[in-house]
Amino acid sequence: MSLLTLRRNFFNVHVITTTKIYRENCLRWYIGDLASYDFIPKKYRHLSATNKFTMFCEKAVELIRELHRMGDGQLPAFNEDGIRQVLEEMKALYEQNQTDVNEAKTEGKSELIPSIKFRHSCLLRNQRCIAAYLYDRLLRIRALRWEYGSVLPTTIRFHMCAEEMEWFNQYKKSLATYMRSIGGEEGLDITQDMKPPKSLYIEVRCLKDHGEFEIDDGTVILLKKNSQHFLPRWKCEQLIRQGVLEHVIS
Amino acid sequence: MFVTDIRKEFYDVVVNQRVALFVSPDIDALCACKVLQALFHCDQVQYTLVPVAGWQDLGTAFMEHKEQYQYFVLINCGANVDLLETLQPEEDSVFFICDTHRPVDVVNVYNDTQIKLLIKQDDDLGVPSYDDIFRDDEEDEEGDGDDSGNESDGSAEPSGKRRRYDEDALERRIERQRARREWEARRREILFDYEQYEFHGTSAALVMFELAWVMSKDTKDMLWWSVIGVTDQWVHDKIPHMKYVTDIATLQRHVSRHNHRNEDEENSLSIDCMRITFEYDLRLVLYQHWSLYESICNSCYTSCSFKLWSINGQKKLQEFLADMGLPLKQVRQKFNSMDMSIKENLREVIEESANKFSMKDIRVQTFAVNFGFKNRFLASDVVHAAAALLENVEKDEMPTDNFIKALDCLSRSNLERLHLGIDLAKKKLKAIQQTVASCICTNLILSQGPFLYCHLLEGTPDVKLFSKPLALTLLCKYLLKFSCVCVFCFIRSFFGRAFEKAAESTSSRTLHDHFDTSVIELKMEDRGKFLDALITLLS
Repeated sequence: MSLLTLRRNFFNVHVITTTKIYRENCLRWYIGDLASYDFIPKKYRHLSATNKFTMFCEKAVELIRELHRMGDGQLPAFNEDGIRQVLEEMKALYEQNQTDVNEAKTEGKSELIPSIKFRHSCLLRNQRCIAAYLYDRLLRIRALRWEYGSVLPTTIRFHMCAEEMEWFNQYKKSLATYMRSIGGEEGLDITQDMKPPKSLYIEVRCLKDHGEFEIDDGTVILLKKNSQHFLPRWKCEQLIRQGVLEHVIS
Repeated sequence: MFVTDIRKEFYDVVVNQRVALFVSPDIDALCACKVLQALFHCDQVQYTLVPVAGWQDLGTAFMEHKEQYQYFVLINCGANVDLLETLQPEEDSVFFICDTHRPVDVVNVYNDTQIKLLIKQDDDLGVPSYDDIFRDDEEDEEGDGDDSGNESDGSAEPSGKRRRYDEDALERRIERQRARREWEARRREILFDYEQYEFHGTSAALVMFELAWVMSKDTKDMLWWSVIGVTDQWVHDKIPHMKYVTDIATLQRHVSRHNHRNEDEENSLSIDCMRITFEYDLRLVLYQHWSLYESICNSCYTSCSFKLWSINGQKKLQEFLADMGLPLKQVRQKFNSMDMSIKENLREVIEESANKFSMKDIRVQTFAVNFGFKNRFLASDVVHAAAALLENVEKDEMPTDNFIKALDCLSRSNLERLHLGIDLAKKKLKAIQQTVASCICTNLILSQGPFLYCHLLEGTPDVKLFSKPLALTLLCKYLLKFSCVCVFCFIRSFFGRAFEKAAESTSSRTLHDHFDTSVIELKMEDRGKFLDALITLLS
């Protein structure tokens, strides 16, 4: 079945095409778009199931979708593979464009111009997707500092690449410098008490054995399962976030 | 030593310190704990709460926390043994003990530095006086030292004098030893009398509430908790009825004081606020959350009076219901769905009929709490619910989990838990009723001389339920009432000491872990000789 027939049977759309590659890609986009819907109408279902097309920019959009799927605040593992593939695709496109441009210039083949333009827009799209991916990850990592504190849990650290780690350290440093500069002599820890607290001390219940826990004045508390404690709020916040303690409201 | 001014000697001392709270698993302790927690929240006293199920738990918890804390508060545990001997604390640890177990160990009473007893001294304590039990051993040693000193000195002197010295010294020594032996015998007797019977004193929750009242920090919630604490003592038969009535009268004064505060205002209180009312209500367990019929069948008092395990008893019950003019259909319905016309005078009607059937005490003084439109609970309802949660054996959970659940159900914001507790309590009461009925019908209760003995076999349904002390005590009281025999006034029981002695003499492997010494665990194989020893001891 030729591509033209496909087009006529299922999509009553006039696609004004000048080059084969552009036409092909449009079609693939339509079919690929179908695949991105959660619910695919019955008549098109068999299409998307066997769709093994590789479109341009598909991998980049896949990266974005992956981030979108993970809810706010969670950091998935750094998709090195994905980025590498996108960069390879970009390289391939760029090289193709280079040859075409040279051809067009030297031999005056003006019909190559639309595909050059098309490849260029694909490159721009890839660049935009990767930039969005990296930037969104950085925003999430920044939020982690505010949530977990300066020391991140090891699971999260494994999900960050080396550069992201370095960025995180730099961010920590700037934040610490800023916090030291405000609030008088000892500085002010603005990562505590994100919401105005109702009381200085809160009652917490221990959900699992955590061992010994030191509070500000040096005293050590033994956190054993099912014991309840009345502790300063700022010390408990971290442990509550980690799920070791539970705030008891009576 | 006993604390005279609880505010100065206890609260003001701990208010700037960090405290460890060890709480035993009974409802009175839970209520006292809630009151104390509320006070600590007010004043921002940092504390750690650890539930302790028995002596071993207490020891472990103490070992874990002794380095970090200097002040320990023990609720409903620790008064009746020599605490310093058991725990071996450092010199600077201070223990505040608020315990209902009596008799208070004499070492705890006379220790001035480390043990402070938060116990009202007007309870009939009968503590023996100091000189009767403790004696300066230095006097004796000095005397003996003198003699030996004299002897050694006397050796340098001429023999005549020395002989006279020896005789006098010898006589004095013999005299002293005899006096000492007499004193020791008298001491043993006094201690035996003192420690023979075990009973319970004023509720810990009430003591804590009075502390709050003295500091003008008492709230209705705390008052309600202290009501539950006192009711718990009565439900589990820890205090005699007279004491219960006296305590209720004390609480009634507080209740009217709290209610009076609100009546003065023009606008009456919102329906969501908590209101405690004094009630002269029926003794039927959980009747407002169950059907009247079920409640009558499963309450100890009524089912004993009717002897509901027999056919005659069932007939009597039908007569009783007919006498009151209550149709069976109504009575078997959920209480809330009964006709309003029936519910209106229910209490008076039941009391009248009950008198005819020789149940004179069908009504008892108690309190009820109201908040919101549909939440109304009697104090005994909450006690049964919390006890059922505390000893829940349905899921295999740790006892501390159950402790936390029971503690939670006492707050107003955890009503679902309370309702869950009520359901569990219904199951528990039905199980008790069935077990008792089967025991009596199959004649499992044997008279072993001075006491009655009943052995529950492994295969009986719900036997797991009775592995917990509170349920077990309820079962035992039930059985005793059923047998219509009241061998001893079991408010003061001597089973604790008897168990200990019997165990020692037969060297049976027992576990005296529970704070309530009348409950012990014993290995099956040693059962026979233990019982024989017990019989000989008590007869």
